[in-house]
Amino acid sequence: MATQPHSRKRVCYYYDSDIGNYYYGQGHPMKPHRIRMTHNLLLNYGLYRKMEIYRPHKATAEEMTKFHSDDYIRFLRSIRPDNMSEYNKQMQRFNVGEDCPVFDGLYEFCQLSAGGSVAAAVKLNKQASEICINWGGGLHHAKKSEASGFCYVNDIVLGILELLKYHQRVLYIDIDVHHGDGVEEAFYTTDRVMTVSFHKYGEYFPGTGDLRDIGAGKGKYYAVNIPLRDGMDDEAYESIFVPIISKVMETFQPSAVVLQCGADSLTGDRLGCFNLTVKGHGKCVEFVKKYNLPFMMVGGGGYTIRNVSRAWTYETSVALGVEIANELPYNDYFEYFGPDFKLHISPSNMANQNTPEYLEKIKTRLFENLRMLPHAPGVQVQTIPEDAINEESDNDEKDNKDERLPQKDLDKRIVPENEFSDSEDEGEGGRRDNRSYKGRKRSRLDKTVDSKETDEKIKEETKTEKTSMEQENR
Amino acid sequence: MKMVLAEKNSENARNGRRSRGPSPNGHVQADSTSEDESTVPVDKIRVGRDYQAVCPELQPESQRKPELLADRALLVWSPTEAIPESKLEDYIVLAKDKYGYNGEQALGMLFWHKHDLERAMLDLANFTPFPDEWSVEDKVLFEQAFQFHGKSFHRIRQMLPDKSIASLVKYYYSWKKTRSRTSLMDKQARKLNAPKEDGAPSEAGSEAGSNEESDHDDKGEGGACSNCGVICTVTQNTSKGSYCNSCYQHWRRTGLSRPTSGPTSKRGCGGGSGSGSNGGVSAAGRRKRKPPKGMYINHDDLAAMASGNAGVTMLRAMDRELDSLQRQIQQNKQNISSLKRKHSDSIEDLRPGSENSSRYNARWTNEELLLAVQGVRKYGKDFKSIAEVIGNKTEQHVRTFFVNYRKRYNLDTILKEWEKENGPLPEDNNTADGKTEQDQDGDNDVICISPTPSKKDIKNGGKVAQVAK
Repeated sequence: MATQPHSRKRVCYYYDSDIGNYYYGQGHPMKPHRIRMTHNLLLNYGLYRKMEIYRPHKATAEEMTKFHSDDYIRFLRSIRPDNMSEYNKQMQRFNVGEDCPVFDGLYEFCQLSAGGSVAAAVKLNKQASEICINWGGGLHHAKKSEASGFCYVNDIVLGILELLKYHQRVLYIDIDVHHGDGVEEAFYTTDRVMTVSFHKYGEYFPGTGDLRDIGAGKGKYYAVNIPLRDGMDDEAYESIFVPIISKVMETFQPSAVVLQCGADSLTGDRLGCFNLTVKGHGKCVEFVKKYNLPFMMVGGGGYTIRNVSRAWTYETSVALGVEIANELPYNDYFEYFGPDFKLHISPSNMANQNTPEYLEKIKTRLFENLRMLPHAPGVQVQTIPEDAINEESDNDEKDNKDERLPQKDLDKRIVPENEFSDSEDEGEGGRRDNRSYKGRKRSRLDKTVDSKETDEKIKEETKTEKTSMEQENR
Repeated sequence: MKMVLAEKNSENARNGRRSRGPSPNGHVQADSTSEDESTVPVDKIRVGRDYQAVCPELQPESQRKPELLADRALLVWSPTEAIPESKLEDYIVLAKDKYGYNGEQALGMLFWHKHDLERAMLDLANFTPFPDEWSVEDKVLFEQAFQFHGKSFHRIRQMLPDKSIASLVKYYYSWKKTRSRTSLMDKQARKLNAPKEDGAPSEAGSEAGSNEESDHDDKGEGGACSNCGVICTVTQNTSKGSYCNSCYQHWRRTGLSRPTSGPTSKRGCGGGSGSGSNGGVSAAGRRKRKPPKGMYINHDDLAAMASGNAGVTMLRAMDRELDSLQRQIQQNKQNISSLKRKHSDSIEDLRPGSENSSRYNARWTNEELLLAVQGVRKYGKDFKSIAEVIGNKTEQHVRTFFVNYRKRYNLDTILKEWEKENGPLPEDNNTADGKTEQDQDGDNDVICISPTPSKKDIKNGGKVAQVAK
C-alpha cells in the first residue's frame, strides 16, 4: 500500500460506539448503523490507527439551544415512544412523527451527533488539528424549532457557531443530494457564513434551493444554490464543483470550511437520483482539502448503506492522504459488500439530464452573484487565515491526480444495478423515490409551478442565448 | 396498542407511496400534490428571529485562550510514529487471534499503556474482552421473535426483556447477513415452502427473498453426487451413478467409492423416513444434511459438541480461526492487486511505446554514413544487421542509403571485398537491387515525404515514378 505524496494532516475523528444502535424504525431508510459500518471499515483498513480518535461528549441542552429554541430541545428531551400520545400537539408543531419518527434513544442520538460536531469545531479552534471528521453529524435539514428530513438537531449549525468564535468567515459546502436548507436558513441573513449547496432541485425534498435564493439582508449573496437535475455523473459534478468553489474561495476568503458529505448523491442510492461514484464524491473532499484551511467533514444523507460506508471510508483516506486498496479488508460486516467486496463502485447507465449548457448557464449566473460580494467582506479584525499551512504546493497534488489514473482504469468494471444484495430492508420496493420519504413536506402547488417556470426559463435561455432580467421579472 | 396501529398505518402509507412513484425521476402526480398540500407546506427559506441562528462575536485574537478550551471529547487513541506499522499489525493480529480482542480494543490497550508495545502485549492476557452476551437460547428466541414481529424491536424486546433495544439492533445487524448460513428456522421454512411455490407471503418470507434467491442460484442447477451427496454443477457418470469430481477421481484411481463421513446410506435412509411427511422433498432434505464437499465430520468432535460447554468454546475458537483466515484472504487479495498494479505500472515504462517509431530518423549524419559503409564491409547486403548497428535507421533506410550512395562511396567495390570473404550474394537479392536502382528518383521523393516509409510506400512510389518516366 503506497502512500500518496499528499500533504500530511493531523486528522481527528469523532465516533461513539453506541451510535450504530439507534434505530429510526421499521422500513425507515435512515440507518445510523452505516456510521458503525464506516467505522469498522476504517479500523480494518488500518486508517483508524493513523488518526486521533475521540469519543465525543453528549451535547448538553444548553449547547444545543445555542441554535435551537428552548421549547424544541425540551420537547426532544422528553419525548419517548411510550409517551408519544401525550405530545400530539407538539409533535405536529415540531414536525416530529413520520419522516422524523420518535424512536428509542432519540435524544441521546442527537446529543452524540451534535457533540461530535461541536467537539470537532473546538478542536479546530484550538488549532490542534487540521481536519476533523464526524460521520455521525451532517444533519443539515434540522431547523431552529423543527425537525425535518430525518434531522432533529442541526449539528452543523452548532459546529459553525463554535467556529465563528475564532473565525471571521466560515464556508459551508453541501454535497448531499438534498438541499442543505437547515444550514442555509440558519445563516441566511449573515455575511459571516457562506452556504454553498449542490443538490437535486425540482419536485424534490425539501423543495428549497432555487438558483435565485441568494440570502437576505446582510446575507444577500452569501447563500449559493446550485440546482441540479437527475443523473449527475462524476465528470459533470467536477465541472461545476471546481469552478464554483474556486470562485467562492477567491471572493469569500473563508478561514475555515465545513463540508457536508451526504452520500445520497452516490449512484444507486435508495433516495437519491445522482450517478456519482465513490471517487467522484471523494474528489470534492480532495479539492476542498487543497486549500489547507481548518476543515471539518461531517456525514449527512446516504441510504444505500454499503455505499455510504464505502464513500466515507474513502473520504477519510483522502483526508489522511493515504491510499487504500480497492479490495475491502475483512470486517464485521463483510457480507454487506458482496458480491465483489471492492471499495469503489461503478456508475449506472442512467442519463445525465444536466447538459453542459445547463451547467454553464448556472455557473455564469452564480459568478454574476459572486461578483456582487465586496472583496473582503465584513472585515473587522485582520483576516489572515490563521491556520493556513502552505507547505505543499498545489502542483504536487495535481501531479498526484494523474498518477492515480491507472488505478481508475483497473477499477472499471460493470456491476448490474441490483447486484449488491444488501439488507432485506433496503431491497424492499427497490430504490425509493424522493417523495416516498423526504417527500412529506413537498412543494406547494404554486411552488412547483414556480420551479418549473425557472426550469423552462433556463432551458429557454440556453437555447436563445438571451440573458434578460426582464424575462425573469415578468 | 395505539402505537402499533399508527405504525401499521404509516407502513401502508409508505407502501402506497412507493408503488405510486417507482421512478426516481418521475413526476409528481396531481393527486399526490393536492393530498399533501394541507400538511406543513414550508418550502421557502424563512427569515426572522424564529429561524436564524445568532452568530457569536468574533473573539479578538488577543483575548483568545485556545489552550483553555475543553476538548469536550475523550481521546481513545492517538497515532504514534514510534511503532513500525508491521509491528503494530503483528500486535493486533495476536490480540485478535489469541485473545479474541477486536482491533479497537487492542489499540485501546496499547494506548492505555502509552504506546508501550511490550507492556500492552503482556497485559493482553489479563483482560478478556466481553464475550458475546448472547446465549444460544437468546439467539433462537430472537429469531423466533423476528419471524413474528419483523424489525419492531420494541416487540421483539417483549420476548427478550433482559436485552436493551440497542443490543437487539446491534445483534440484528450482525445476524442478518449471516442469516442464510446460520439460521435453522430459515432452512426449515425454505424446505416447507419449496413444494408450495411461494406459498404464504409472510413478512419474513418476503424479507428473506434476496437470500433465498441466491441460495437457489447456488444449488439450483447440476446434479448431486450419488456417493457423498454434494450438489455440484458437473457430475461424472459412472457405473455406480453420477459422481462429483472428487468422488469420481477417487473411484477411478482406487476402484472404490470415496469414503464419506459416517455410514452414508443408513443415515440417508433415516433422514428420508424422518422427513417422510415432506414427500417429494425428502431427497433434497437428505442432501442438505451432508457436510459440503471436502468437509469431514469427526465423531469425537461431534461428541464434544454434544457435551455442552466444550462445544461452545470449540465453536468460538473455530469462528475466530475463520475470521483470521478470511482476514488473511482479503489481505492477500490486497497484496496481489497492489503488486499487479505496480507490475503493470512499471511495465508501462519498459514497454516500447508508440513514440518508438519517432526514434527512427531518415536523415543521415556523417557518422552514420561512415557506420553504414563499414556495415556494408562487414555484413554485405544484410541491411537488417546494418540497421541494427546504426540504431536509429530501419532496414528500409539502409536499403535506400545503399542505392543512393552506391556510386559516391564506391559500395560495389566494398561489396566485392565482402564477397571475396563470404562468398557470392544470393541471386534474388541482386535482382531486387536492380529494380530499386531503376526507381532511384521515385524512392527519393517518397523518403523525403515520410520519415519511415514502409515497403508498400516505396513500391507505390516506385510505380508512380516509373509511370512518370
